[in-house]
Amino acid sequence: MRERLGRWRFARGLKACTAADDEVLTQYAGAAWPSPDIPAREAPLLALDFELDGLARNAHVLQAGWIGFDSSGIALAGARSVDVRSLRQLDDSAVAVHGIGEERARQGVALQEAARSFLGDLAGRILVAHGASIERDVIRRISKAMFGIEAPVCSICTLQLERRISPNLVGSDAYRLSAARKRHNLPGYAQHDALSDALAAAELFLAQLSRLPADVRLGSLESW
Amino acid sequence: MASELSEIESFLKATAPFDRLGDELVRAIVRKITVRYYRSGDEILRSGEHNNFLFVVRSGAVELRLAGDELTARLERGGCFAFPSLLRGGEVRNTTTALEDTLAYLLPADDFHALRESSQGFRDYFADSEQERIRSAVRDLKRNRSHTLEQITIGSLVPHRDPVSCSPNLSIADAASLMSDRDVSTLAVCSDGRLKGIFTDKDLRNRVVAMRRSLDAPIADVMTPSPLTLPEGASLSEAMGMMAAGGFRHIPALGPTGELRAILSATDILAHLGDSAIDTGMLVSNSATPEALIAASKQIPEGFARMEAGGFHAEHTMRFTSALGEAVHRRAAQLVEAELGSPPVPYALLAFGSLARGEQLVGSDQDNGIVMDDAVDGAGREYFAALGARVSDILNDAGYVYCNGGIMAKNADQRLTIGEWRDRYSRWISDPDEDSILRATIFFDMRAVHGSAELAANLRGPVLEQAKSSPLFISYLARDAQRSRVPLGIFRNLVLEKSADGEKVFDAKAQAILPVIDIARSLALSEGIAAVGTLERLDALAEAGKMARGDAESLKDAFLLVNELRIAHQAAQVRAGIAPDNRIAPATLSPLERDYLKDAFSVVRAGLESLKRNLAGGIA
Repeated sequence: MRERLGRWRFARGLKACTAADDEVLTQYAGAAWPSPDIPAREAPLLALDFELDGLARNAHVLQAGWIGFDSSGIALAGARSVDVRSLRQLDDSAVAVHGIGEERARQGVALQEAARSFLGDLAGRILVAHGASIERDVIRRISKAMFGIEAPVCSICTLQLERRISPNLVGSDAYRLSAARKRHNLPGYAQHDALSDALAAAELFLAQLSRLPADVRLGSLESW
Repeated sequence: MASELSEIESFLKATAPFDRLGDELVRAIVRKITVRYYRSGDEILRSGEHNNFLFVVRSGAVELRLAGDELTARLERGGCFAFPSLLRGGEVRNTTTALEDTLAYLLPADDFHALRESSQGFRDYFADSEQERIRSAVRDLKRNRSHTLEQITIGSLVPHRDPVSCSPNLSIADAASLMSDRDVSTLAVCSDGRLKGIFTDKDLRNRVVAMRRSLDAPIADVMTPSPLTLPEGASLSEAMGMMAAGGFRHIPALGPTGELRAILSATDILAHLGDSAIDTGMLVSNSATPEALIAASKQIPEGFARMEAGGFHAEHTMRFTSALGEAVHRRAAQLVEAELGSPPVPYALLAFGSLARGEQLVGSDQDNGIVMDDAVDGAGREYFAALGARVSDILNDAGYVYCNGGIMAKNADQRLTIGEWRDRYSRWISDPDEDSILRATIFFDMRAVHGSAELAANLRGPVLEQAKSSPLFISYLARDAQRSRVPLGIFRNLVLEKSADGEKVFDAKAQAILPVIDIARSLALSEGIAAVGTLERLDALAEAGKMARGDAESLKDAFLLVNELRIAHQAAQVRAGIAPDNRIAPATLSPLERDYLKDAFSVVRAGLESLKRNLAGGIA
């Protein structure tokens, strides 16, 4: 039921985008979106991660990293990473976590430019992220602010998927990105770098996919 | 761009052979990679398929089986595979399976070939065969270890000092007087200021006295004509290489116009390196009492560690250390003879095992025995019992501890007449069984270190004859060699042992060196080859056409390579005041050394396989 509702909202959102007067959104809407009924192994995917300057709902994007892939592998040639220019006084605690100082944040590209870039790459692909709701919400928010229309996002959350694959672990730490990766014998990566986290999520999804039936439906893995 | 794929970049920079490429190039390569994940048990490549990628294991482990069957390798983090298929156009021969959940980086064939084109280091690493790879590894190691030797020139070591010379027409007798008067061991034979030949103490012994030449003959008849020379500007390492390769100890150094400037001797090099091998040798040989001998031999491990630090190659370190060991044994016997009086009949002190092969490192126990003339009587046997016991005790105090297996002169079964020894060898050869072979192989590496060389030769000759014509015995030897558990990989290996503190280690001697020794011994005995040293045996086998030259060289390289690592390991232990052993923790090796070691293991395994095919048959 939830899947059907999500799909319906997604289709409605795309329809709204077709009417937008910006090329990025019309192309986004017109992309060849995969049917939820194809095997997940055939789906075009995009791992994406934002580093934000805080936890608030209106937190600013400091950095975005993304990389397209599918079940046959992750081609690193397609990896992208941008620092986003921000004029806001940075939240000190966020700076400590991400290591992105104000100097660097000022030198980054404008948010609009970054958004056009990753929306272009996301067109026709399913977003993959660990805790995908954050990325989904940020994209909708940015799109709304830039174009007055929320770009709908179809996503797979590796965190939720991990809870499905290993349901009975104690404590939420066990489902964090690094702990989940370790269970799948994936190498430890430095965290809090957008591209590194995106790649980490992409690899985790490949590992999760290898544990699911070969013909598992794309729609059954999406989170709404 | 602000954020790059730094995780992958730093991994590749620390992984051979990408560690040989510049930072810029590695950054560019990262962008060419595709990441794939394989679940434990997944088949990654199948024999017969076509492959277009070089695979690098990022995490996990994989197993390669030739034609899907015979296990060829296990690889873990940092291991590269599937390149042989790229080198032969894509055809896969090894079926590769994930042993664990594995993350792999795939580099497209085109980029792989482009890197081989542009980087010598990269190309060397992926040399078509393990043989070539290990050869380049040995070259690498030698280069690194000999840094100081590369920089010092012969000229700086032996400045122009008007070497003692004579004309080619001078009689041997006058030449010898000249050498004696001027107190030199080497004479340059010149005419018109040009070097024509070289004549040494050793030549006097071998080519004049032993050959009963007339002393009136001209020196030109017995000199080494047109000796190999080096320019003054040549490095010490060139000189040492030439000496080692040619088996001589003197090299004339020539000036810019080809004029003789000096004669460099091995002693000059040793003296310059501040090495104590020669000094220790003198101390040992001149010891007036057992106590002095024990004190002198206590310096051997230290000298060993210094040789390692000085950049000596494994073969030299082994040779010097064995030479000192032999000197200690000989001096011990001489001192005991002085205590007990002259021996009643001719005898020889025999060394077995590593000392006999000239491959001793430090921390070896003693393996020896006595062969007596058949004429020995009861009282004579008592003399040798006393002598054997005393020699073993002195050696034990000198650092050559008692042998666990009882192979030492203090035990009665190690003190036999030549007839009794022949019977003993004859029983091993004509009536072999698994158990007796296991304990007897060491006896087939034998050499007299003191006493009557003739006795030892009279024993050795018939033994070699009998062994050569006993295929059953040879097949037992060949099968015995297969007991060695040569590791497949380094980390995820079933045969790594745990050391006392739980660390995984591999036994460099048992798991890599002994198999090579076994291979060389089995084959040499099957051909009646008299050489005892492993390198010499392999050379002799190649010489006689009994082993492909390439295979012999590869085994020699593997043997030297592992011995380099063993020597470095033991030297570090000596410096740290720890008793030296052969248990090397893979974690202490560099990634490159681990790769070299893997190649050495494959060479040794191939050698054992071939031995099994060729000789181990004949046993039901």
